[in-house]
Amino acid sequence: MNVVKEFWAKAGSITMPDDVTMPFWGFAPDPDGAPQLPGPTIEAKVGDDVRITLHNTLAEPVSMIFPGQDIIPDPVKDENNTLVSFTQHALPDGGTVTYSFRAVRPGTYLYESGSSPEKQVQMGLYGVLIIRPLDYYPIESTRTAYGIGTGTGYDIEKIIVAGELDSALHEKIAAGLPYDMLNFAPDYFTINGRAYPDTMNPDNSTSQPYGAAVKTESGKRVLLRLANAGFLTHSLHLSGGFFRVAAGDGTPLRTYFLDTTYEKTTITIGSGQVYDCIYTAGMPGEIYLYDRELRYTVNADRFPGGIMTRLQIVPGRP
Amino acid sequence: MDQVTTDTRERVINLWARDGYISIPDGNSIYIWGFVDDPGKSAQLPGPILVLSQGETVTVTLTNHLSEPVSICFPGQSGVKAITSGGGESPVEPQYQDGKLVSLTNFAAPGQSLSYIFVASRPGTYLYESGTNPHKQVHMGLYGAIVVRPKDYMAHHPKHRTAYGAGTGTEFDREYLLIPGEIDPELHQAAENGQSYDIRSYKPRYWTLNGRSNPDTDLPNFAGHLPNQPYSAMVMAEPDEKVLLRYVGAGIESHPLHPHGNHTRAVALDGRLLRNGRVDLSYKRFTVLVSPGQTVDQIFQWHGLGYTPANTIPTLLPGLRNLAIGHTGMTMWSGSPYLGVKGDLPVDIVSYNEAGEYHFMLHSHEEPQITNWGEFPGGMMTMIAIYPTGTLGQHHGMLPITPPAP
Repeated sequence: MNVVKEFWAKAGSITMPDDVTMPFWGFAPDPDGAPQLPGPTIEAKVGDDVRITLHNTLAEPVSMIFPGQDIIPDPVKDENNTLVSFTQHALPDGGTVTYSFRAVRPGTYLYESGSSPEKQVQMGLYGVLIIRPLDYYPIESTRTAYGIGTGTGYDIEKIIVAGELDSALHEKIAAGLPYDMLNFAPDYFTINGRAYPDTMNPDNSTSQPYGAAVKTESGKRVLLRLANAGFLTHSLHLSGGFFRVAAGDGTPLRTYFLDTTYEKTTITIGSGQVYDCIYTAGMPGEIYLYDRELRYTVNADRFPGGIMTRLQIVPGRP
Repeated sequence: MDQVTTDTRERVINLWARDGYISIPDGNSIYIWGFVDDPGKSAQLPGPILVLSQGETVTVTLTNHLSEPVSICFPGQSGVKAITSGGGESPVEPQYQDGKLVSLTNFAAPGQSLSYIFVASRPGTYLYESGTNPHKQVHMGLYGAIVVRPKDYMAHHPKHRTAYGAGTGTEFDREYLLIPGEIDPELHQAAENGQSYDIRSYKPRYWTLNGRSNPDTDLPNFAGHLPNQPYSAMVMAEPDEKVLLRYVGAGIESHPLHPHGNHTRAVALDGRLLRNGRVDLSYKRFTVLVSPGQTVDQIFQWHGLGYTPANTIPTLLPGLRNLAIGHTGMTMWSGSPYLGVKGDLPVDIVSYNEAGEYHFMLHSHEEPQITNWGEFPGGMMTMIAIYPTGTLGQHHGMLPITPPAP
């Protein structure tokens, strides 16, 4: 099967819960629509041929890298042999580039810009790629993250991408003013591009379309696809109890022969890392998934905010 | 796996949330908020260590002597309930006012009390901490450790003195808690003066183990000049003894704890044994990252090749680089490379060595953190002290930590 997508790298605007807005750069799924943070989720199945064409409306080269995928980036250097992009890029103001790879491993992955990434990834040029296992079918016995027998069966799934935003940096970069990444000082912290309490809002058609709230029943298995697109480490803690770490960076921890999965209340996710965790919903009630690196649970200086979201558990059907 | 029995044991713990001051070796005094189990005392850092038994029903009554609401979360415990004003029990839940979250769990208003009830159903090492304004209250010091003893625990029976039960490979001879923390003195001062507490300016200058900064980490429990920091961090053992090290990540940053010259075996994470069925998933590390909200249980053993009580000179000497010999005017070294022997030292060096024991530094490998505001030695650093066989008192490495008899 072919998964063919076209993305447009564009400038746009995002909003924080305290009504602060800031410019950002993001991927848009169509030429006339607004860019979104994070970029559109790409979904494929093992065996699919994935082809992504990137159109660039920005004033500098932009590109996409696919960590963990079967694609070897071909770096671009300038006339002084200085690296410009980790991979082939789309030239400014209308350039395009196409990436092709076959999806060979199931899992949860990030995609992000490979051009001036310290700037462009911070500005918002990142998103999530999900690859379904070969035996995946959306019914109970075959709805898994990594295949039957990997202990990754689930009832509902949620993508949770952590990130940070430095609003002063965004303003400078959008205005083309000089900036110094050594002064990186994020003042907003996000899940799926939103700061709490916006993380609890449903999916919508704003510039930050993906909600992070979960509603489920006692006993149901929730697959939390936890990714860190930010530059800082985040330690995601579930207040309701334990989840089982089933995979890291696209590698399942359980195979036919050996089960090395383990239980945690909190998982520390470094920049660029991804963990797939299964939470079996406990007693009815409300629990929070939040960053135990507590200075990221604020908007500006006020709690609650930042990297927090809510899981609501209703009684299971008898 | 757990037998179904009717366990009627009950445990009642009273905690007060209040303020106080702690001491840093550079002379600085830091205003803190903390838990304490005696209403007549000021806050201690960390809060009292709670040693519970698997299966018992625990009631923790919190009385709030601070000027803002406070609460206690029990990460890793299930079925925690709060006693409502009507006297009934109800599962704890996030608290809202006017549709806005005000606390991650049920809280006690200033001057009020609230009781939490749960069954300590699984053995292990856990945290307890405030769930209200946690970015401020946890950093200010409202945290502590919980140890849950397995059902079959027997303190004087080697096979049953374990962290997770007989046969789980977690037998120990001595056990120690190490609870890292950070202190941003300007944020603590802002809280002391009722000023705006802006976590965006977070910049720790002091780092602690069990609420103390080195060299106070190496002093005994209940050191006289540290009335609000009762717990030592020094690990003391004899050769071949199994030492259970319980790391508890109470801070808001990760800390890579590293013992010189030695490995530890991580056997459990967050209170869950690293084992699936019969498969042992434990692993050895010489640096263990203790991350916020997380605990790591390790078994550590020091072996001296060729060492016996009769022949106290190990065949293979520890590398001198691994023994705490510093150029700072003070040392923990005995002056002799042989275990149990004291030797000569240069005249301008003061040694705190007691009995010819070996001292191996155990410290955060983020080296700015082993200073007190930039001054080395300090911060998140202590020693693993290996004493000659038969010379270390039995009371070292026991929980609960109780004050000495008057």
